Amino acid sequence: MKKSLSIIHDEHRAIAAMMHALRQIVAGIEAGRLKPDFALFRDMVEYIDKVPERVHHPKEDQYLFARLRTRCVEAVPAIEALEAEHRIGDARIRAMEAAMQQYEQAGQAGFAGFKAAVNEYVEAEWKHMNREEHEVFPLAEKHLTDEDWAAIDAAFLSNENPWQGEAGQYQKLFSKIVNIAPAPVGLGPS
Amino acid sequence: MSNMLLEAKELHTYYGASHILHGIDFHIRQGEGIALMGRNGMGKSTLIKSMLGIVRPRHGRVLVRGDDFTKATTYRTAQQGIAYVPEGRGIFKSLTVRENLLMSARAGVDGQRNWTFDRVMETFPRLGERINNGGWQLSGGEQQMLTIGRALMTNPDLLILDEATEGLAPLIAMEIWRIVKEIRRTGIATMIVDKNHAAVTSICDRAMILVKGEVVFDGTSDEIRANPDLIQKHLGVGH
Repeated sequence: MKKSLSIIHDEHRAIAAMMHALRQIVAGIEAGRLKPDFALFRDMVEYIDKVPERVHHPKEDQYLFARLRTRCVEAVPAIEALEAEHRIGDARIRAMEAAMQQYEQAGQAGFAGFKAAVNEYVEAEWKHMNREEHEVFPLAEKHLTDEDWAAIDAAFLSNENPWQGEAGQYQKLFSKIVNIAPAPVGLGPS
Repeated sequence: MSNMLLEAKELHTYYGASHILHGIDFHIRQGEGIALMGRNGMGKSTLIKSMLGIVRPRHGRVLVRGDDFTKATTYRTAQQGIAYVPEGRGIFKSLTVRENLLMSARAGVDGQRNWTFDRVMETFPRLGERINNGGWQLSGGEQQMLTIGRALMTNPDLLILDEATEGLAPLIAMEIWRIVKEIRRTGIATMIVDKNHAAVTSICDRAMILVKGEVVFDGTSDEIRANPDLIQKHLGVGH
């Protein structure tokens, strides 16, 4: 597998872990096992906002999809769908953030709206990553040339770990979430 | 001078009449990372235990830094800078986090003390928050971090992780993989057994697949990632 695809897969795993944690915590609240921790929710939403939306998706658009578009007509509808999803990603995050604020202000009455917003975001992101991994990446592996991959890999590697942020702030935020998320989802008190 | 750390040559191991390892050849060099993969019951843990003297191979040889350790005690092998983080963690539950860590502290083979108590605390800040808690009070993820921290306190040249993320939530597993990557960057050779082939091949340079006690693949992680059929066939998972 190409280095850039390997990096994207790593990033997908981190995004998937965050989605899984968010859903598990919401399920725990619904089942009465957990109390809402809005500081934790804010950190999780911030992570999703900063990392997948502002680092991961633009990198895919700019380097991988741009090249694939020119090499494989068959991939264009899927790429256009993915790019459209990238564009509305910010709106979906804002909707989840608004639902979280509403939940914090309204208390239990706001839970259903928050749960719906979380589920909507997570479902959309799962579908999005699945489409990338099962439709677009295989086409990329088939149709992109060695020269394309060299350029894409170079672009990904030149900014070696944007995932961690310039001063490691995203990695610190991820670790903070792991430490405060209630066990068994994270390491915090359950 | 060879930089070979640990080798197995033609290793055959039995549990009673059951022939588990069928002539395994294995090696790991200083600074190298190896992902050891295979379905359950294929001999991964037995290979580790055979090399560490926990289980005695019936035939074959184990070399540590070129010396014959086939019949060495586990303790003597561990003194050669080999730290083992077993399945099931094995912390001392009656001791505090601090005690668990300090009781393992020792210099490495060349006298190096790169991994101090303070450095382990920096690597696992969560353990710092639980420093006076008993092992029995820790969650599964915290126990796993303590086990890895304890291994680092021995200043090893080789860290062996057997199912380090087994049973942990994805968020905690990701954090452990991140920390293992950091540890790898310090130059410690690492051998990892885990079901998450994508995670381990992203950390390790080499990968090995065992099927029924035999090596069916020994190559680079890039090769294995480029060959989803191999993963499907031997690990039973889609890529």
